[in-house]
Amino acid sequence: MTESNPIPSRSVGIGLRLPHVSEIAATRPELSFLEVHAENYMAETPALDRLLALRRDYPVSLHGVALSLGSAEELDRRHLSRFKALIERVEPMLVSEHLAWSAIGGAYLNDLLPLPYTETSLDLFCRHVEEAQEGLGRQLLIENPSSYLRYRHSPIPEVEFIAAVARRTGCGILCDVNNIYVSAWNFGFDPVAYLETLPIEVVGEIHLAGHHAVEDVDVLIDDHGSRVVQPVWELHAAALRRFGPVPTLIEWDANLPALGVLLDEAHHAEELAHAYRYVDAP
Amino acid sequence: MPKSWPTPTDMSMLLELQMRLRRAVLGGDTAEIAAAILGDGLDPSARVGIYRNHAFATLGDALRSTFPVVCRLVDKRFFAYAAHEYLREHPPHSRCLVEYGADFADFLARFTPCRQLPYLADIARFEWALNIAATVREESPLQAETLAAIPPGQAAYVALRLQPSLSYFASTWPIDAIWQANKEDEVPPVDITSGGTSLEIRRAGEAVSWRRLDPGTFEFRTALADGLVLAAAMAAATLKDPAFELTASLRQVFAEGLAVGFCISPKQETSR
Repeated sequence: MTESNPIPSRSVGIGLRLPHVSEIAATRPELSFLEVHAENYMAETPALDRLLALRRDYPVSLHGVALSLGSAEELDRRHLSRFKALIERVEPMLVSEHLAWSAIGGAYLNDLLPLPYTETSLDLFCRHVEEAQEGLGRQLLIENPSSYLRYRHSPIPEVEFIAAVARRTGCGILCDVNNIYVSAWNFGFDPVAYLETLPIEVVGEIHLAGHHAVEDVDVLIDDHGSRVVQPVWELHAAALRRFGPVPTLIEWDANLPALGVLLDEAHHAEELAHAYRYVDAP
Repeated sequence: MPKSWPTPTDMSMLLELQMRLRRAVLGGDTAEIAAAILGDGLDPSARVGIYRNHAFATLGDALRSTFPVVCRLVDKRFFAYAAHEYLREHPPHSRCLVEYGADFADFLARFTPCRQLPYLADIARFEWALNIAATVREESPLQAETLAAIPPGQAAYVALRLQPSLSYFASTWPIDAIWQANKEDEVPPVDITSGGTSLEIRRAGEAVSWRRLDPGTFEFRTALADGLVLAAAMAAATLKDPAFELTASLRQVFAEGLAVGFCISPKQETSR
């Protein structure tokens, strides 16, 4: 931290993507942490070596996308043990996964598919979160998904479902502010009310990203392919008021821009966090 | 009329729901899932289509990144079509997408629209071997002296374990030349009738490397990679190349750091 930097403690990180690795290694930008998709580092690739090298300078958060905690079958033990092996090598500051399913009957669909929110799926999901936390030897943060369909029979509101998962399993919540915004738009609910129903003490991370609108139909798609839009920054400000300056990630996975653009987004998030740190200071 | 849909109030129903959504995402037919989905102002099949598009786009990207030259040879649109057909029949098992595509070459070999490119499947086999080498770490090589302690009577029954990043691959086409030429933007002419190749592909530090092997060496190393004992590997190599020399070839295997372990298998047949 340089003296000219007025921000007392940083909380913002960026998603690490391969084309940015060399520049980050060479320029060492001021970032609170780097986050990677765990599945991209489970093979013995040169990319893993570069991540382990960066790990010496930055805390790393492992974001799993494929544990498929919502599958109505047993967890994939092999995948769980590879995840654990990666955790042992990376020693991450946070480990997260999704409120979703992505594999069934031996097929992995590489998509975060929605669950119907019922007592049955709640029992199943909680059992899998408990098994995963035990298998990984870590607390998981569970991320609220962006959704494009709802089931006819899904009586529990998503925010109550995820809060119940946290209460019953001791997991934390990764509050994806953009996902709340996208789902709220797609299904016409109030994103602020969703945010204000999330239990404060268990939110351990915030995700911010861009999305795009599908022309002709009134649907937003969470594609992590552009800057965070103003209404999402506003929702993020509400999240900061509620949860405090928890670690916040700028995600950008598609249409990857120059690293400077990500750092600019991260800087903006840092300024917001700074403002709320002072507002909330006792 | 929407089909009746039993509510997912127990595990078997939830499993059935997920299997139906899987079939809709992979196959595109949403008839058996639509009744379980709220329209919310949109056709339920359009909602499934959002997930379907994402799954096919990202899995297609994964295949394109593992098989870049196959993609160049057939052009992006045809590749997307071939990838789509492959994905429907062979969705990934592994959750690590760099491990997806092991049988893509076999699929292409059977895929009739590719028939006018007879070497395409072998290009895919070569790219898969490059992918293996890029995702598997080298182990510390076994020193030749380690074998010195083996009683002379058992030496013929030694089976070496080779570097896990290694692949041996032969084709009736000059696959390495075709592949190399198509890495460039301006594809230089390649004489595809210039004959076949026998290739060794491996990890070398952070990089992946390959080279052509003479017939005897290729047969010998392929036999070792298949787990054959030295006597059997030598017999196979001598069939290809009567002048094959075991001692020099074995010394070369160690000099190149290819062997990482061994066992003695006196019961193995020594010729195949």
